[in-house]
Amino acid sequence: MKEYNLLFTGVGGTGVVTAARIVATAAIAEGLNVRVGEIHGMSQRLGAVTSTVRIGDSVHGSIIPPGKADLILTVELIEALRCADRMNTDGTFIVGMLHMAPTAVLLDRATYPSDEEVLNELKKYASVVTVDAVRLARDAGSVMSVNIVLVGSAFGLGKIPLKEKAIISALKEVLRPRYHEVNIKAFELGMKAVAGT
Amino acid sequence: MVKPMDIAEILTKDSPGKQFLLLGNEAVARGAIEAGLEFAATYPGTPSSEIGDSLFRVASKYKQPYFQYSTNEKVALEAAGAASIANTRAMAIMKHVGLNVASDAFMTLNYIGVRAGLVIVSADDPGCWSSQNEQDNRFYAMLGDTTMLEPADPQEAKDMTVAAFDLSEKLEQPVLLRITTRLSHTRAGVNLGSIRPPRGEANFEREPLRFVTVPAVARRRHPILVEKVRQAREIAEQSSWNKIIGEGSIGIITSGVSYNYVREALDFLGIKAAILKLGMTYPLPKQKIQEFISSKEKVVVVEELKPYLEDQTRAFAQEKGIIIPILGKAQGFFSEIGEYTPRRVIEGLGKALDIDIPDSFAEIDEKYSNMSVEIPSRPPILCAGCPHRATFYELAIATGRKAIYPTDIGCYTLAIQPPIELADLLLCMGSSIGTACGLTAVLDKPVVGTIGDSTFFHAGFAGLVNAVYNQHPVKIIVVDNMSTAMTGHQPHPGTGLTGMGETSTPIKIEDVARGIGVPFVEVIDPLQVKESIRILRKAMKFDGPAVVVSRSICALLEIGQKRRAGEKIIPFEVDTDICQGCEVCTDKLSCPAATWDGEHAGIDPVLCVGCGVCAQVCPYKAIKRRETK
Ligand code: SF4
Ligand code: SF4
Repeated sequence: MKEYNLLFTGVGGTGVVTAARIVATAAIAEGLNVRVGEIHGMSQRLGAVTSTVRIGDSVHGSIIPPGKADLILTVELIEALRCADRMNTDGTFIVGMLHMAPTAVLLDRATYPSDEEVLNELKKYASVVTVDAVRLARDAGSVMSVNIVLVGSAFGLGKIPLKEKAIISALKEVLRPRYHEVNIKAFELGMKAVAGT
Repeated sequence: MVKPMDIAEILTKDSPGKQFLLLGNEAVARGAIEAGLEFAATYPGTPSSEIGDSLFRVASKYKQPYFQYSTNEKVALEAAGAASIANTRAMAIMKHVGLNVASDAFMTLNYIGVRAGLVIVSADDPGCWSSQNEQDNRFYAMLGDTTMLEPADPQEAKDMTVAAFDLSEKLEQPVLLRITTRLSHTRAGVNLGSIRPPRGEANFEREPLRFVTVPAVARRRHPILVEKVRQAREIAEQSSWNKIIGEGSIGIITSGVSYNYVREALDFLGIKAAILKLGMTYPLPKQKIQEFISSKEKVVVVEELKPYLEDQTRAFAQEKGIIIPILGKAQGFFSEIGEYTPRRVIEGLGKALDIDIPDSFAEIDEKYSNMSVEIPSRPPILCAGCPHRATFYELAIATGRKAIYPTDIGCYTLAIQPPIELADLLLCMGSSIGTACGLTAVLDKPVVGTIGDSTFFHAGFAGLVNAVYNQHPVKIIVVDNMSTAMTGHQPHPGTGLTGMGETSTPIKIEDVARGIGVPFVEVIDPLQVKESIRILRKAMKFDGPAVVVSRSICALLEIGQKRRAGEKIIPFEVDTDICQGCEVCTDKLSCPAATWDGEHAGIDPVLCVGCGVCAQVCPYKAIKRRETK
């Protein structure tokens, strides 16, 4: 398989690591060579974090070089922009429209850019799809599954080169049984949200 | 249907050939279990923590191997070293700076050697992702004449851990397994091997002329150690961990995760080269390196941090009179600062080999730096409802921000961030108290050290004894959140839980302080703002060393417990009719759940954990718990 690079980005503690693990588990089940990069430790405390999933025979390390990400998934709007240098020109951003103002913004030491500014800037790098991930996750039963909504949307747009069955069973393998239903629903709602686009 | 498997099951499953997606650290734990691990000890520290945490799960569930969270790395290594001398396969796990703490034991354990296998894991942190420095612990292997293995990916991490035990038993010496953050926190498919039975009966055979390192013994043991290094070097010459991949007149010498970037960089640059990938990196296979370089036109050495391989390669070349360019840090092609990435290796190789790098990187950089929007930075901060935030808010008021504030290692180091900004000095674990002693001795100013509960047990205790005995009027705030929170909520001697998942009697920090004669010891609940300020003020006025234990469970642990118990978390809200827009809650406390709409404060109900501190801080009583329906 040709090299495939997926980057999850967001705020520490919001489920970025788990979502990456689910996609990678599905890839392993399909017999593919996978590397997942995670961030543990200090940055997990509400800092900017990323998780990578790299698939393909030519992949050795877990870091995605600049310009090589095929897909960037983010729930928090400005975090997509922070990682834009990783984006491939043929790639896609799938962006949940959550705004989490960093403390500097609360203290008036920085401003949180407008949606329009961020989306216009992102479009200079690649195509952008926005998804109301927080609402869909809530509809599915838990805001905690926002990243799974994005995985669903990405899959629905054909941006994750894996089988739906593999992703669903990976989700069951990684998550505890009581979270299965909510997350499968989140995945489906994510998929539905982009149907026809 | 797929059944979710917990990590304890995966790590103990005897199903050779089966593949699982494992974190590098989990792979190390699995390797140890495959090798017949019987005893493990650690002090948690990122990036090493998940090794111990995995073993904790295994030990809690199956009651073997024996596992403990030791009070610090020195104790962990002493315990593991003794276990292995008593014929028990053992492992001591720590982060790079942990080996500094354990270095006293480390530097003499090699003199006496071991009986059953002993593997010491050092997880280094190039890039300082979660550390106070990025020291290169490969030099500890050299300093301590200790055989070292360096894996590049999770599969190797597992396999080399098994090999490390074998080597240790063969040489009767401890073996250092050196990993780095990027490997520790990379997941990949790992093929399992079979699990060996434990070694059997533990027994301590007396051999004082080997194990009691009085000078006469030490003198006798040193030449034995030197001979062991010679034997290890012979093994390194033959070792399949030191292998050549690819061919060509250009040679590249590399080890650890840098190997991955070299492979990707060669693809990117479209060039051919022979790679000498070193997995056993102390002692180095001198002959193998000499043979490799003598057949090349030029050689590039690619390694993170110090020129460890590079300098030795150059020395080996000189010894044999091999005159070819050995390129690396000496010429400035590579840096000894920070973590490597594929990009840095591509650029370094490009410069060293004088190959044009496609200009895509420059274009990307230009575009990125000319962005029309400024992205506000997002450093890590204390969580919503974190009791440390309350303690620091109270401390700022009680001291009027007029003291000097040495800090320590844990989540509360984040007090460096605005608006708290009560962190002035930090060296290492426990340094808040030692540095406070020094400051009070030379300055006529109040000095307030903050230290966490786990850190207090690790290295704070000795500093406090020093303060009491030498009568330093230090004020020490022990921010006790009943957990080793930053590294993933491991238990410690104050929690009542052991590494075997069993209960033990918790040691109370206030008892310790009183026991060693601290004349002022009080315990506060930081979520009670007024009362806490009152006691902190009292401590500041006290003439002599004072300890205030600020105790409230870590907010993350508490919500976890509540969620599991099915309890509802009821957030607070701002009554905008009452809110005067004074910004005290947003600017002075700055809980991450707080929001501001330009006129009034608000609270994000998803982030708020309902601690109620902001409600006590608001001068107009505008903040209340939400009504539950
Ligand atoms: S009650 Fe106030 S201080 Fe506590 S978590 Fe909620 S918003 Fe933050
Ligand atoms: S402290 Fe009270 S009055 Fe002041 S901004 Fe906050 S909620 Fe409004």
